[in-house]
Amino acid sequence: MMDILNNLTLGFGVALTPMNLLYCLFGVTLGTLIGVLPGIGPIATIAMLLPVTFGLPAVGALIMLAGIYYGAQYGGSTTAILINIPGEASAAVTCLDGYAMARQGRAGPALAIAAMGSFFAGCVATIIVALFAPPLAEVALKFWAAEYFSLMLLGLVSATVLARGSLLKAIAMVILGLLLGLVGTDVTSGTLRFTFGIAEFSDGIGFVAVAMGLFGFAEVIVNLTQGGKREVLTSKISGLMPTRADLKTSWKAVLRGTGLGSLLGILPGGGALLSSFASYTLEKRLAAVPSRFGKGAIEGVAGPEAANNAGAQTSFIPMLTLGIPSNAVMALMLGAMMIQGIAPGPQVIDKLPQLFWGMIASMWMGNIMLLVINLPLIGIWVRMLTMPYQMLYPAILLFCCIGAYSINYSSVDVLSTAGFGLLGYIFYILDCEPAPLLLGFILGPMMEESLRRAMLISQGDPTVFFTRPISLAMLIGAALLLLLVIVPAARKKREEVFRE
Amino acid sequence: MSSLLRFVSLALMAAALIGSPGDSLAQSYPHKPIHLIVPYAPGGGMDILARLIGQKLHESLKQPVIIDNRPGAGGTIGTGIAAKAAPDGYTIVMVISAHATNPSLYKKLPYDAVKDFAPITQVVSFPFLLVVNPSLPAKSVTELIALAKSKPGRLNFSSSGTGGGTHLSGELFKTMAGVDMVHVAYKGSAPALTALLGGEVPMMFSDPLVTLPQVKAGKIRALAWTSAKRSPQLSEVPTVAESGVPGYEVNGWQGILAPAGTPREIIDKLNAEILKVLQMADVKERLSSQAMEPVGSSPEQFAALIQAEIVKWGKVIKDCGARID
Repeated sequence: MMDILNNLTLGFGVALTPMNLLYCLFGVTLGTLIGVLPGIGPIATIAMLLPVTFGLPAVGALIMLAGIYYGAQYGGSTTAILINIPGEASAAVTCLDGYAMARQGRAGPALAIAAMGSFFAGCVATIIVALFAPPLAEVALKFWAAEYFSLMLLGLVSATVLARGSLLKAIAMVILGLLLGLVGTDVTSGTLRFTFGIAEFSDGIGFVAVAMGLFGFAEVIVNLTQGGKREVLTSKISGLMPTRADLKTSWKAVLRGTGLGSLLGILPGGGALLSSFASYTLEKRLAAVPSRFGKGAIEGVAGPEAANNAGAQTSFIPMLTLGIPSNAVMALMLGAMMIQGIAPGPQVIDKLPQLFWGMIASMWMGNIMLLVINLPLIGIWVRMLTMPYQMLYPAILLFCCIGAYSINYSSVDVLSTAGFGLLGYIFYILDCEPAPLLLGFILGPMMEESLRRAMLISQGDPTVFFTRPISLAMLIGAALLLLLVIVPAARKKREEVFRE
Repeated sequence: MSSLLRFVSLALMAAALIGSPGDSLAQSYPHKPIHLIVPYAPGGGMDILARLIGQKLHESLKQPVIIDNRPGAGGTIGTGIAAKAAPDGYTIVMVISAHATNPSLYKKLPYDAVKDFAPITQVVSFPFLLVVNPSLPAKSVTELIALAKSKPGRLNFSSSGTGGGTHLSGELFKTMAGVDMVHVAYKGSAPALTALLGGEVPMMFSDPLVTLPQVKAGKIRALAWTSAKRSPQLSEVPTVAESGVPGYEVNGWQGILAPAGTPREIIDKLNAEILKVLQMADVKERLSSQAMEPVGSSPEQFAALIQAEIVKWGKVIKDCGARID
């Protein structure tokens, strides 16, 4: 205990210096801004700032870059709620209920609960990082291919819960998502699949293209076909802050989201992204009236937002303790460390404690700064909604295109986004939802990769999924979830609930 | 201006223009920023080296060297863009040893790895490090070979990608040591390292940049270097050739190319400048801490290396059947 206190004192000593506070402020503000801008994300921004970090002190540079990352998670929910475009990949789920709330004139409470939930989750997750970083990293190492497969399977089965309407259509969308996820190079054999000779597809279709296209572009097209009139009832904006009832409904969702996000964030490869989906699924499962979801249930915003922030904080753990990046942004931060001449690895905690603890302390400061920055901005954002759509949608499209281009400086990404926008419009006409497709798109390839790798390592023995305890637990969970869907009595209840 | 002054300045300008074109080309180059294309994502090991070199070149050439990340398709997208760029010395590309293996892995490339480029210099060379999870009973390469022979087809090794250096080093080892091991591919060095640390896969022919910190922290055990000589970073670790597989040598490398047709003077100037960068003390220190050895060869030597590597790995790739199509 004393050890932790000593370390935290060291950390705050580092984080509270004026220069580091300034770096933190700059980082979180920039992060919020780019989080709001659809498409342009922390990866492009950090990559652009890498040369700048050459000349900065190591701790300051890393504090700034970290601020950009978790700041973007705050900002990403803003566009998701206001205009149905996920500013950050992990905010895609927030679109579902957040945008619905905005259409009911409740954008303010949605934004506020997102900010507050994110703040709570960020603080708790930072405590978790401070106290449990090394043992949690060891847990991550226990996740072998079999566990990943079972986790993905559990995720896919719960994807059906994401559906608002027809179960059959939801399953069809999940499978379509799986098929789209197949595009790319197979890891083991090196075979190019469905790339049609386009080199840019050999690493798969970009997630940003799919998310922005299906949610953002499609939404614009739909609105334009309805004569440019949107249902935002500008006169009916009923208060900017959540009501007591709102808070009462959402606090448990925030707690659960924090827990889920903290755990899933540690897993290398998709933690934060998965956590928001998982939280939404959990909330919908646990809700007394699941049919509220998709129509403006505030837990559908509070839970996922808390989850993705918690996931963003805990995804630092593998990087800081083991030197292994759990996603592309962490890989960039590792690069920034290497530019500074720091060799990332298990010895960073011991040899450079001021770096480790300084970063943790600055995460707290960053979260406080973000809450202070974001809450007052809510009024401005809501007022932005009252802009005439003719002025709003070209700006939206422009930023999405810039964002799509900024990923790889390739026009193929922009064209893909446009293509998915068209597809999204077709789905709208057919009354199919994009959310299950997105989940299938993310989970499918990871599931296949894990399945084949698990079989390769176990020499073709399929019992490995059942003999490893974590994997078995998740498979049982998936089976139970499946039963819930198949068993006739439950099924009849679902149909009653879905009847609208 | 007085007419005398104007006459003198015009005369001087005329003299400058008439002067030998070659000299003035090399002297005036560069007069605008240079684009250094990096065919991989920002933040990775090769990108960091490119940024270091770019930074130092900026200081000596007094023109910015802009790092242009064009990732995708195993490096072929960025390399392809460089192949088609104007050969005026303002677009150059940094490549890694994959440049010599891609021609054998891909059925069709948007460029010719030899004909479309004018090599400038090989920047660094680095060995791979054979590492194992401590749970594996083998403590030397000889023991490893014995273990592999005792359970053929049941010893796995991980790699950061099919067709990459970490995979092909393993394939060459299999052929030369006569063992049957199973290759398990991962998407990148981070997941491969995670698998190694967690014990999912017991061994890897790894990039020392990634595994040296782990070895020094005692989390994994280093068995051998794949180069001909031991690296000073871990001088007590023998080479594979010393430990039972004579003649085995694998070196990763990074180098800079210009599009074919770039004027010779510009290539020579860039070569000279990069050599100067590689002599700097802080650069040498940074490179050696990552087990990289600065090389700074001549354009002809680099061209010869590329040719030799294409032939050597072409055979390994054909034997093991790896391909990306």
